[in-house]
Amino acid sequence: MSLLDVHDLSVRFDTDDGTVHAVDGLSFSLEEREVLGVVGESGCGKSVSAMSLLQLLPETAHVTGSAQFDGLDLLAAPTSKLRDIRGRKIAFVFQEPMTSLNPSFRIGNQLSEVLQRHLGLGRTAARKRAIELLDLVRIPAPERRIQEYPHQLSGGMRQRVMIAIALACDPKILIADEPTTALDVTIQAGILDLMRDIRERLGTAIVLITHNLGVVADIADRVIVMYAGRKVEEAPVRELYAHPQHPYTIGLLGAIPRPGAADEQGRLREIPGRVPSLAELPAACAFAPRCPRADEQTRSQRPELAEVRPAHLVACFHPGRNGDRA
Amino acid sequence: MSYVDTTPVAVNPRARRRRLLRKRFLRRPLAVLGLAVALLFILVAIFAPWIAPYSASETDFNATLAPPFTEGHILGTDELGRDMLSRLIWGSRASIQAGVLATALAILIAVPIGIAAGYYRGWIDPVIARLTDVLLAFPFLILAVGLAAILGPSLTNATIAIGLGAVPGLIRVARGEALGLREEDYVRAAVANGASDVAILGRHVVPNMSSTLIVQATVLIPAAIIGEAVLSFLGLGVQPPTPSWGVMLSDAQSYVSQAPRLAIFPGLAIFFCSLSFNLLGDGLRDVLDPRTTR
Repeated sequence: MSLLDVHDLSVRFDTDDGTVHAVDGLSFSLEEREVLGVVGESGCGKSVSAMSLLQLLPETAHVTGSAQFDGLDLLAAPTSKLRDIRGRKIAFVFQEPMTSLNPSFRIGNQLSEVLQRHLGLGRTAARKRAIELLDLVRIPAPERRIQEYPHQLSGGMRQRVMIAIALACDPKILIADEPTTALDVTIQAGILDLMRDIRERLGTAIVLITHNLGVVADIADRVIVMYAGRKVEEAPVRELYAHPQHPYTIGLLGAIPRPGAADEQGRLREIPGRVPSLAELPAACAFAPRCPRADEQTRSQRPELAEVRPAHLVACFHPGRNGDRA
Repeated sequence: MSYVDTTPVAVNPRARRRRLLRKRFLRRPLAVLGLAVALLFILVAIFAPWIAPYSASETDFNATLAPPFTEGHILGTDELGRDMLSRLIWGSRASIQAGVLATALAILIAVPIGIAAGYYRGWIDPVIARLTDVLLAFPFLILAVGLAAILGPSLTNATIAIGLGAVPGLIRVARGEALGLREEDYVRAAVANGASDVAILGRHVVPNMSSTLIVQATVLIPAAIIGEAVLSFLGLGVQPPTPSWGVMLSDAQSYVSQAPRLAIFPGLAIFFCSLSFNLLGDGLRDVLDPRTTR
């Protein structure tokens, strides 16, 4: 059995402009020690689906489906039960390291808070563990750092502290929502390196949410590509890079800046058009307006997920790189 | 703990921040003056029994309405021959007590209500917001006078009335702060880490609204001091013969033409006392505002 089994997860927001389908029928599973990459553009529903797992969405969100974890359906669990899971068994790292720490308290204090709450540690024990954790996330001079306030740390340092807080209780799952987006490239590499190390040493399963396929290639075992609230492709990471099937994935891969990626005019390839509004979900492939392969069928029916190669799912009527069909 | 910081500067952040705030504060002469005078009034109120040359209610019918500097009465005596200076000193107790306690009461009542509305939202927020709007339509003093009239005249009741009168405005401030703080990333992160509501409010919301509350308090204190004087003047606060600046003003009414100093001295006391707290509050607001750069 998988560590986490999400089945048919849908999230709707009722807004003044009508209903927004942020996530539509998403299913996935996460194995022990696995790093799962979730990739997609802004607004494709990747953060919303992650937040919904711990019921962190505002009350305007309507969540349906199920998420089995540890014999419990996370989506239906009462808040009191969830509090024991949040930060204890499933921990979150958010995108904004600059503002995710309370400016009024010392670093050590904020780490101890979680330790005291979930593990019932005393002050001295919590302090000792806080230093160990900062050491684990490779912050130099941890016994001095725990005395400092967030404003004295750089963005990369703060993200390390956030990861330390997330790891404080040795969670089963670490959900990292764009953990490197706000950081510059050299720092990003350090954070990714750290996450890889965490998986190796602690065996924590990681869900890594990002819009950057390069980041995913670096660290993930398996990748889910999302578009307009739906999963459009899922494959082991090597398979995905070697044989991308969905035109959207192919477009994303083409848009990674690297030597040779530019076209004849020396421009980076891009995917034309914009992400569709999630308010109107037509009975068609959501990617059709931007897709070079779109035809009558694409515009009138919605493709379902199908296994086109071993362990490789795609929702597309015309999958495959030109001529590289399974 | 076991280790000591050896670097002299910039290592203990709290001390550094405190030093920075102090430097900013000291650069504002009016604020420093306000602090000094406010402290002086507080000390006078605390040590009134030791400072006052005479008892506040001891009458001397051989020396009624004595002008200043007669027979050891530095500020003269009133219509019953009571020493003016001693009455002013004893009167400061009522003002400081009303100022400080009414403000404390208002904060204790308003902050939890404001947080309940701003942090929990739901149906309770619009209800509380509209209710405070309605109450804010009444001027602060009118509200206090009405409440004091209902509660009955005494210093305690006047203090309660002033405190309650200040509640609607403070609720609005606390609600606004809570509304902003609940959207902070660190509050979101705390929820994701399994913090209970109590922990979030106690560690993340209240501490981060404290500088706003400190400023509000220093603005409320002078308002409450004036409020106490008004209520006592109207006979709704301190009851004679207990001295209070408001009572003294009220007593002085019949003698304004003969001895205007009977009204001028308590008037000046009210003026300087509330001005000092106002200046202090202005200074603190400037200093604690993170946008201040000087």
